[in-house]
Amino acid sequence: MIGIRNHSIRQKLTWMNMLVSGAALLLACTAFAGYEMEDFRVALVRNLSIQAQIVGANSASALLFNDPDSARNTLAALKAAPDILFAGVYGADGVAFATYSRDRGAPLATPESVLPLPDAPAGRTEAHWFTMDGLVLVRAIEFQGKRIGTVKIQSGLTALRDRLIGYAGIVSVVVLVSLLAAFVFSSILQKATARPIVQLAETARAVSREKTYSMRAPEAPNEDEIGVLTVAFNEMLGQIQERDTALQAARDELEQRVARRTAQLEAVNRELESFTYSVAHDLRAPLRHIQGFSEALEEDCGARLDADVRKYLNSILESTRRMDRLINDLLGLAHVGRQELHLRATELDSICRDVVRDLAPETQGRNIEWRLGHLPVVDCDPGLMKQVLYNLLANAVKYTRPRDPAVIETGQTTLEGERVIFVRDNGVGFNMKYAHKLFGVFERLHRREDFEGTGVGLATVQRIVHKHGGRIWAEAGVDRGAAFFFTVGSPVPGRNRDA
Amino acid sequence: MSGGPASRALHFLAATALFYGLNAGPNLRAQAPKPTEYEVQAAYLSNFGRFVEWPAGAKVTGSEPFNVCVLGPDPFGLLLDAALKGETIFGAPMVAKRVAGPEDTSGCRILYIGSSKSERVKAILASLGTAGILTVSDAPGFTKLGGMIQFVLEGDRVRFEINLSAAQRSGLIMSSELLKVATAVRRTGQ
Repeated sequence: MIGIRNHSIRQKLTWMNMLVSGAALLLACTAFAGYEMEDFRVALVRNLSIQAQIVGANSASALLFNDPDSARNTLAALKAAPDILFAGVYGADGVAFATYSRDRGAPLATPESVLPLPDAPAGRTEAHWFTMDGLVLVRAIEFQGKRIGTVKIQSGLTALRDRLIGYAGIVSVVVLVSLLAAFVFSSILQKATARPIVQLAETARAVSREKTYSMRAPEAPNEDEIGVLTVAFNEMLGQIQERDTALQAARDELEQRVARRTAQLEAVNRELESFTYSVAHDLRAPLRHIQGFSEALEEDCGARLDADVRKYLNSILESTRRMDRLINDLLGLAHVGRQELHLRATELDSICRDVVRDLAPETQGRNIEWRLGHLPVVDCDPGLMKQVLYNLLANAVKYTRPRDPAVIETGQTTLEGERVIFVRDNGVGFNMKYAHKLFGVFERLHRREDFEGTGVGLATVQRIVHKHGGRIWAEAGVDRGAAFFFTVGSPVPGRNRDA
Repeated sequence: MSGGPASRALHFLAATALFYGLNAGPNLRAQAPKPTEYEVQAAYLSNFGRFVEWPAGAKVTGSEPFNVCVLGPDPFGLLLDAALKGETIFGAPMVAKRVAGPEDTSGCRILYIGSSKSERVKAILASLGTAGILTVSDAPGFTKLGGMIQFVLEGDRVRFEINLSAAQRSGLIMSSELLKVATAVRRTGQ
């Protein structure tokens, strides 16, 4: 029965029907047979009692006048009852007076069954009990109110057994035939019940496997629970399909909108960049004039000017130089935006070494410990990548100025399966609270008086990294140094890919 | 032989004597002494009345004792009294009674004739006529002489034969149960 658990509902229904009808039938038959058997037992006892009474009544004179032959004759009449195996008439003292045995010499006629009168009814006129192989009935022989002896009759249970066997046969035949009928009927009937369920299950399996919500379970022929289930299931499928369609439409619409917005943003960005570029470019010419004339003024009239005026002049010159740098940086930033990438397999190691060499003027007189780890060969624009490393390393040099020794480290690591290149220093660092401003144009986390700069460098770096499809972020703490991490496309050495 | 326990024991012996036949178990034979012929006869005398129906005018009732009379030489002594003691028949207590002669038998239901002389027996039976008295004797030829029940010895067993005609002449009806256990039943007697 345990093995049935995974059988189909069709088989389960069949089994269930057969089990239920079989059990009910068996129970009913058993109860009926039990009742019949009990009835038969009662009848058996009653018959035996009547026979005992007859024997007793006919043996009274024989007992009183000591005529065992007469008693034996009376007992011999029991031959007509084939089930009676033994009968005996006993005197008032319990001694056997006359006996009868159907099968003389058989075990039943042994002294044990003849001589003692077990449990002779005391105070009662009759008693009976069932033994392994028969029914024993003992009845007092009374004559004119006086007990003069006892009769004992032992009957075999052949009739009872025959009847029991007969019943068992009938019950088995009935149960067998009924089970067969139940099997046939339930095979026919379960189609009406099980088929819609099976079809429903098949549809559900197909839907979940193929993810096509346009399928429908076949309509159940009946309006029962299964029919309701099928209808509800189909409605559910319909709703899912509707939502699926709506979701798809919404997604398509969203994509279109994003594409539109992106195009708009890109257009605006381009306009902004060209605006920046032209402003910066156009600002250059007047600046050159101011610078040129200021220098001319200094050259020509420097000696005649008093100290105050010369100081003003120097201030103007200093400002023009700074503005020139600013314009250059802005033009560089704009240039990065406009420039097309020329990707090629690039050894970051050699770029890094170049940058460190280029930084020599800034590092003069400084105690800097360079820890240049191995960097990979990656697909990138070498010129732009040099700008990235230059900016990051120049920043490191700049913000480690208070440190002796300054430690600047480069290297690569792997974060969640992605190659990450980092530049780390032990400089003044910054508060992570402002990390989101780090890469904005003109955003500075330190006072210009402490650390010079235009606030364009990291914006340029981010733009280049983004252009390469990478990400850049930083980790730092105030006075605990800073680390910049960026990713760049997967390294494909020895392959030129000019886009 | 005088006193309660002794007479009760005797009564017991008389009752158990019924079962002393061929079927009595050998172990029982060893245990109890074999009852005498007259003990058995006394027991039978206590039972004959139960299988006999007296005529309409003389039904046995509990209003008067059921007398078992002994006429002539008494072979029983106390045995009969012991056998009848406490016995009732249709509510009538059974009493043993000795009578001197046939003229003295008016209250008798059963008359045991102790004499074995056939002339004497004949005379007694003749004087009784059809008085409705059950006559019993162990005198040889008793039933031939017109007596109703005659004890006979069959080996060591006490049995009896019946003269049914004599009983019928006296208006007594004998039960078939009684006839069944008799060794012989005469239907044509004098």
